[in-house]
Amino acid sequence: MAHQIMGQKELKEQVQDAGLCTGCGACINLCPYQVFYHDRTIVLNPCDIKAGRCYAFCPRTPVDLQALHAHFFQESDLTPEIGPVKAFFIVRAADAEQRKQAQHGGTVSALMSLALQEGMIDTAIVAENQERFLHAGVAVQQPMEIWERGKSKFIVSPTVAEFNRAARSDAERIGVVATPCQAFALAKMRLKPELSSGDNPIDKLKLVIGLFCGFTLSWAKLLDLLHKKTGLDAITGMDVPPGKDVLEIYTEEGVLVFPMEDVQACIREACRYCIDTTAEYADLSVGSARLSGNWEESRSWNQVIVRTDVGMALMALARNSGTLEFHDVPTGNLEMLKKAAWEKKRTALKNLVEKSGSADDLIYLDARDRLLADLKY
Amino acid sequence: MSKLLEVREGSCHLLMGNEAIARGALEAGINVAAAYPGTPSSEILENLAQVAKVRNLYVEWSTNEKVAMEVAAAASFAGLRSLCVMKQNGVNVASDFMLHLAGSGTRGGMVLVTCDDPGALSSVNEGESRHFARMIEVPLLEPGDFQEAKDMTRWAFELSEELRTLIMLRSVTRMSHASGNISMGKLQDQLRRAEFRYDGFILDPNEGPVLSAPVAYKHGLQQGKIEKARELFEQSPFNTYEGPEKPELLIITSSACTLYSREAIHLLNLGGRVGLLKLGTTWPLPPNLLKKYLTLTGTILIVEEVLPFLEENVKIIAAETAKEIGIKTFYGKNDGTIPMTGELSPDLVVSALSRILEIPYAAIDPAYEKKAQAAAFFKAPQRGLAFCPGCPHRASYWNIRNALTLDDRQGFVCGDIGCYTLDIFPGGANTLKTLHAMGSGTGVASGFGQLSPFGLDKPVMAVCGDSTFFHAAMPALVNAIHHRANITVVILDNSGTAMTGFQSHPGLCINAMGQEAPKVDIAKICAAMGAKVAVCDPFDLPETQKTLNRLMEDEVGVKVLILNQKCGLSPEKKAVKKYDVHVDENLCIGEDCGCNRLCTRIFRCPALLWDKEKEKARVDDVLCAGCGVCTGICPQAAIVKEVA
Repeated sequence: MAHQIMGQKELKEQVQDAGLCTGCGACINLCPYQVFYHDRTIVLNPCDIKAGRCYAFCPRTPVDLQALHAHFFQESDLTPEIGPVKAFFIVRAADAEQRKQAQHGGTVSALMSLALQEGMIDTAIVAENQERFLHAGVAVQQPMEIWERGKSKFIVSPTVAEFNRAARSDAERIGVVATPCQAFALAKMRLKPELSSGDNPIDKLKLVIGLFCGFTLSWAKLLDLLHKKTGLDAITGMDVPPGKDVLEIYTEEGVLVFPMEDVQACIREACRYCIDTTAEYADLSVGSARLSGNWEESRSWNQVIVRTDVGMALMALARNSGTLEFHDVPTGNLEMLKKAAWEKKRTALKNLVEKSGSADDLIYLDARDRLLADLKY
Repeated sequence: MSKLLEVREGSCHLLMGNEAIARGALEAGINVAAAYPGTPSSEILENLAQVAKVRNLYVEWSTNEKVAMEVAAAASFAGLRSLCVMKQNGVNVASDFMLHLAGSGTRGGMVLVTCDDPGALSSVNEGESRHFARMIEVPLLEPGDFQEAKDMTRWAFELSEELRTLIMLRSVTRMSHASGNISMGKLQDQLRRAEFRYDGFILDPNEGPVLSAPVAYKHGLQQGKIEKARELFEQSPFNTYEGPEKPELLIITSSACTLYSREAIHLLNLGGRVGLLKLGTTWPLPPNLLKKYLTLTGTILIVEEVLPFLEENVKIIAAETAKEIGIKTFYGKNDGTIPMTGELSPDLVVSALSRILEIPYAAIDPAYEKKAQAAAFFKAPQRGLAFCPGCPHRASYWNIRNALTLDDRQGFVCGDIGCYTLDIFPGGANTLKTLHAMGSGTGVASGFGQLSPFGLDKPVMAVCGDSTFFHAAMPALVNAIHHRANITVVILDNSGTAMTGFQSHPGLCINAMGQEAPKVDIAKICAAMGAKVAVCDPFDLPETQKTLNRLMEDEVGVKVLILNQKCGLSPEKKAVKKYDVHVDENLCIGEDCGCNRLCTRIFRCPALLWDKEKEKARVDDVLCAGCGVCTGICPQAAIVKEVA
């Protein structure tokens, strides 16, 4: 099921204009034609190259999931709901002071810092909060710089754009903290599609730490939601605590609470078509833990799915060095996660069918794909 | 030494039409000349400015044509001779004052020279200034050759003093910009002293205040002046006839069309059959003269450019004298014999004559024409209108287009007159969506800026040049600020009235005569008016674009961005390269994914070339102005600049 690589025109028609662009940044910094502005990918000038890297690397152009799985993962590790699982942990950063800078358990920052310290990577690409609650990917070399950029981002950051830039600089071994769509784009690069021109220094990518992701918000719609209740620069963080069905926005003056019903309207359209909650194409994926209904207890822990040998090696390092604290995995925890991920896949496929108007047309996915066969939509 | 200072009477010089007009004014002994630059009129004042010191003239580039006419009128009120000059659009601008001036009358001889541009060779319209003469009731003269351009200008001042009214002398591009032999007249010494008398009786034309009121009285007086002009024109030596006593066909024409008509008669060898009545005094027409020549034949062809001004006026006389001269057959604009738009040429007159007289004639051998067209299409390189290498406008529009694209709300630009109009052509960025008169970009934007309550949600931008800012954009900007229009005005300040040849304006520290002058600061004016003002160098691409986006996102009131960068052809920059620019062929990736020829396919500075054989970009050293802007757009940093 090899898919034809096309150019900017088709990318714009099939992805951007179709509301499928995730803002991952995979088509940015490869050329002067696509740029990122606020939270959107903008076609600045027309390019007439018939088969471009922008199209080849985009996580929302047609893709062969089976080929991707076969390339990256062991068949025996695969689960239909959350992709490959080599191991599952509940962990947090051992250093309580550092945890305070993090969204939950600080596991992502701790692991990325460790990878830098141990020389597994020399450059880490992470998202950074910039003015007006907009984000950008930045390349850092020091562990401290990673801790300064912790916390979840509810607006997309074009992280892969920064990978594209850094991979063409002096960096040799690069690690990326990626959302599911960003990890997906990096996976498409790792497949090394046949290109008529343009380089692809993907071999510099040595580590992908995936982030669980339910959705991102449209920046413009977030502005409407806030409706002058607070300035964008006053926002210090956001979270969706389990079971409350609200979005909490933290500011220096206090917490603003918005019902999820209102927040739903602000979700980036592309996120409605995403089948991946747990960043399946990462070496390991991290999300907030769900522990026996106690949120205050849960929120300082993370859950981690290890997917590859690289991921296993990093977790072993973390355990041996005491970088992470480990918590017992409660019974049924993984099943609960699988159920949630399964729901998102089903909803995404339903939305895709609704968009295309046909059960046989899943737009960027292939309805005949064995991996999707069990999902009734 | 300027040829305009030649003192030997009767000596012969090759002068451009505009130089001839300037010489005519000098021979009339003018003291004051004021103008706003505009092709094809600009050389008249430039030539006078050059001799200002020697000839004791006051010469200025005024902020606009109305002010130019006011400045010249003051000299006339003080008893001096004065000239004001403008292109056709300028008369529209000046017309309000002109109407009042016709009413108040003049004292010292005052002449308005207007240079029309049939075919809009250097304009975005082919407006007709002749109608103003009839509408505002002032006499109109049209020289039919270069000698006449000089002689008629000189005479116009005498006529103005005889009639005590403004005289309008109309040239066209081919009269102003072509050259011919001129026999020089006497350079007049200026012995007049400026004195403005205003203490006399209100109706006293010499000693009273200068007013257009009481209107009924003054208007009647003005019409009396036109009547007197009509009588004088009966005897004018500038109205001539050449041809047989009993022609089969009579051509009535004026201005440059005289030359085309004469050539057409010659080409068809019709000297014995066709008569040519050339009129130099085209408003008011002398009826007896017309009657005399209309009597000669029953077939009349009227040859003039653009609108049927002469044709209609001749037809009125023909109707009024029909009993005496009989019924005539007229050919001209109204029956389609002569096109109603564009410039005329000898070929077009030949074609009209050969149709009317049924003479087979092909101006060009059809076989040759076919061959020439094919050669032009296949062999001649295409050369579209584009910004020059080093032009700040290319960088400015690059930023504007990028900012509008990033903003992603389908914003658009309202524009007006200047080199920056070129944005609408294929070589531009195509951001201009309205294009009208001087300053109209800001005025139209001011209106668009009020339409959001009715559903217009696109960001509105205006562009305006520095000279245009002073000319007509300031009232529009005040309007926009006072009414809180949500717009961004970009002032493309290239330090001169560039399109017409670098005439000075109030934003510069020099005047038309080369003297130091106080510079009027655009940024300070805008800030004082109440706009939010930012200033950038358009060559700093990231900063300019960022600033533009920030201004566009600020949805309250008027934002002004001043883009300062001198024109690449400015006297300071011309032939001076700031940078030597070249392409590092090892870095250039040409058409590969990652660039795809951004510099030659999208940016398209004429100095950037695509070497098809090497598949690399190249800088044309001859064309390159050394601005270095292209080095900032190359994704590979393959375009390299070194300080020259």
